[in-house]
Amino acid sequence: MTSHTANFPHATGHKLHQYPPGDLAIWVFILAELFAFFVLFVVYAFTRLKHLALFNEMQRTLDSDAGMLNTLLLITGSWCVARAVAAIKANHAVTSARWLLAAIGTGCGFLTVKYFEYGAKFALGINLDTNLFYTFYIALTMFHAMHVVLGMTILGLVWKKAVRGGYSAQDHHGMETGASYWHMVDLVWIILFPLVYIMR
Amino acid sequence: MSAHFLNVIWVALMVATALTWFIGKTGQMGATAVIAILLIAALKGWMIIYDFMALRRVKFLWRGIVLGWLLLTLAIILLAYWLGLK
Repeated sequence: MTSHTANFPHATGHKLHQYPPGDLAIWVFILAELFAFFVLFVVYAFTRLKHLALFNEMQRTLDSDAGMLNTLLLITGSWCVARAVAAIKANHAVTSARWLLAAIGTGCGFLTVKYFEYGAKFALGINLDTNLFYTFYIALTMFHAMHVVLGMTILGLVWKKAVRGGYSAQDHHGMETGASYWHMVDLVWIILFPLVYIMR
Repeated sequence: MSAHFLNVIWVALMVATALTWFIGKTGQMGATAVIAILLIAALKGWMIIYDFMALRRVKFLWRGIVLGWLLLTLAIILLAYWLGLK
C-alpha cells in the first residue's frame, strides 16, 4: 500500500472506506449545501400548501420539456464525471480529461436551456414580484444555477490539471473532490425538477 | 466502479427522468402520481448517491447522512402534498 492509499482508504480494495471520495472539506461544504436546499424545498412545499390554487395554476405555465432536458443534461454530466474518475483510476489520463470536458459541456447546455427558459418568462414580463410561485421558481432555480456555475468552475480547474497530466491512478484525490461537488448539484436537481415542474 | 455499470446507471436515470416527465404530461395528478414521482426521485437519488458519488463502499455514517437527507426531504414533501390532497 502506498502512502497515498494509506491516507485515503477509499482507494483500496473491497472493504468499507472510512471517508467519502475527495477532500473532507468539500464534504462539509456539500452537507451545508444540502441543508440549505432542504430548507428551501420544505418552505416551498408548505408555502404551496397555503396557496394551492395559485401554485397549481402557475406551474402549468412552466416549460416541463426544458426542465426534463436540463435533468437529462445534469444526469449525463454526472455520468461523464463518474466515467472521468473511473478512467483516471485505470490510469487513462487523456480519456479522463475528455470525460471532464464533456461534463463541462453538459453544464454549458444546462445554462443555455436555462437562458432560453428565463428569456421566455422575462419576455412576458414575469419577474420575482409577479406572484409567490414565480418568486420561488426564480429564486430556487437561480440559486441552483449558481451552483452549476460553481461546479463548472471547479470542473474547469480539475480539467486544466488533468490535461497537464496532474492526476494518475495513484493520485486523483483532487478530481474526486470536484466530482463529489458536481454530483451534489445533480442530486439536488433530482428533487427540484419534480417538485417545481411536475407535481401538482 | 466499472464503466459498463456506470453506463447502465446512466441509462436507468435517463429512463426514470422520462417517466417522471411523462407522468406530468398526462396531467393526471393525484395521490398515486405524487407517490410514483417521489418514489422515482428516491430511486434516482439512491443511484446517484451509491454509484456516481461512490458512497456504496463508504462507511454507513457518510452514506446514511446523504441518504437520510434524500429520504427526509422526500418524506416531508410527500407529507405537504398529502395534506394538500385531503
